[in-house]
Amino acid sequence: MDVAVFVGSLRREAFSGKVARALVELAPEPLRLEIVPIGQLPLYNQDHDDDGHPPDAYTVFRHRVKAADAVLFVTPEHNRSVPAALKNAIDVGSRPYGQSAWDGKAGAIVSISPGHIGGFGANHHLRQSLVRRSSIAVHLPQGGHQQGEPTCLLGAEASAIEERRIRMS
Amino acid sequence: MERNGMTAAQGSSDPPPLRILGIAGSLREGSYNRALLRAAQEGAPPGMEISVHDIAPIPFYNADVEARGDPEPVVAFKAAIRAAGGLLIATPEYNHGVPGVLKNALDWASRPHRASALDCKPVAIMGATAGRGSTFQAQAQLREALVYTGSCTLAQPELSLSRAGAVLDAAGRLTDSDTRVALRELLEAFAEWVQVIHSGEGGRYQARHARLTSDQEGRPRAS
Repeated sequence: MDVAVFVGSLRREAFSGKVARALVELAPEPLRLEIVPIGQLPLYNQDHDDDGHPPDAYTVFRHRVKAADAVLFVTPEHNRSVPAALKNAIDVGSRPYGQSAWDGKAGAIVSISPGHIGGFGANHHLRQSLVRRSSIAVHLPQGGHQQGEPTCLLGAEASAIEERRIRMS
Repeated sequence: MERNGMTAAQGSSDPPPLRILGIAGSLREGSYNRALLRAAQEGAPPGMEISVHDIAPIPFYNADVEARGDPEPVVAFKAAIRAAGGLLIATPEYNHGVPGVLKNALDWASRPHRASALDCKPVAIMGATAGRGSTFQAQAQLREALVYTGSCTLAQPELSLSRAGAVLDAAGRLTDSDTRVALRELLEAFAEWVQVIHSGEGGRYQARHARLTSDQEGRPRAS
């Protein structure tokens, strides 16, 4: 089962990137996780689609999402909401109108924060976008929602904790 | 000397102009939200001057990039916000939320946290959509984010323009008189709101808030 993974932070040492890479390693059969980059996508501009010449990066991204059986978002929170790069990827994937690449995908969200509320604002707002009409059925409403210090979860002990969380969900 | 978009009156009895910075959440050339901003510029109440800032050149927020110094479009955007008395946002709704384009500009402007260009900045929100629905979910998400940035967002009146194509002519000018009145009422309320925030109790709150949240060099205070 091909699961496309999207990481909300573009920072090289991002906690969300580390968690996503841990999830790639820990994913049980039949899940096969692959991180799909989003930082190269130009800011969404509908004129590109209306002109019939969307940037190659849009087209490649949309095809990748369409090919996936499921999608997984691993994200921090920026200003109590979804990081812009991730929202932009969702916006790009959802267009042109009526041809959303997200349609009918199973999806899950993992939100991460160095604080104690686990990025609930990002998780909540992301969920609002993903339930738009028939776009995505969020099958794991509490999936991997992390709390506490991500640094504590990323060492040797992290694997066990992550594994337990995945089994719980 | 300009501060908070208010130019000191120079021997004139006219009050200083209130400078408002407008940004649109859509990059489309024929964007209804850009059109709404143009209508706001044309219909601004006396004493209010609205300039529109293009957020398209702002790259994705990336803390690694920020650590090397703000890219030029970010420097320009932050300076424009600081020079303005208030920020007027016109947003469409993408996937029941704030467009990534707009969120990106605001995420950059929000840095550093609690000592940013958005801290205590008066903000007004409006939105337009081609469809029959509203932009209120995007507006609500925006309000939540602006709580976190410490901005002072005007609560009422709200303005969400549905079927925007029907009230704009081919040149993108707002033709509907009811909508023009609603826009004017929003801008008049915003002018009052900006005055409240920048003066009197609001000004004292700003000063106290700045002392509480920043050290002497304007850096955010560690909590």
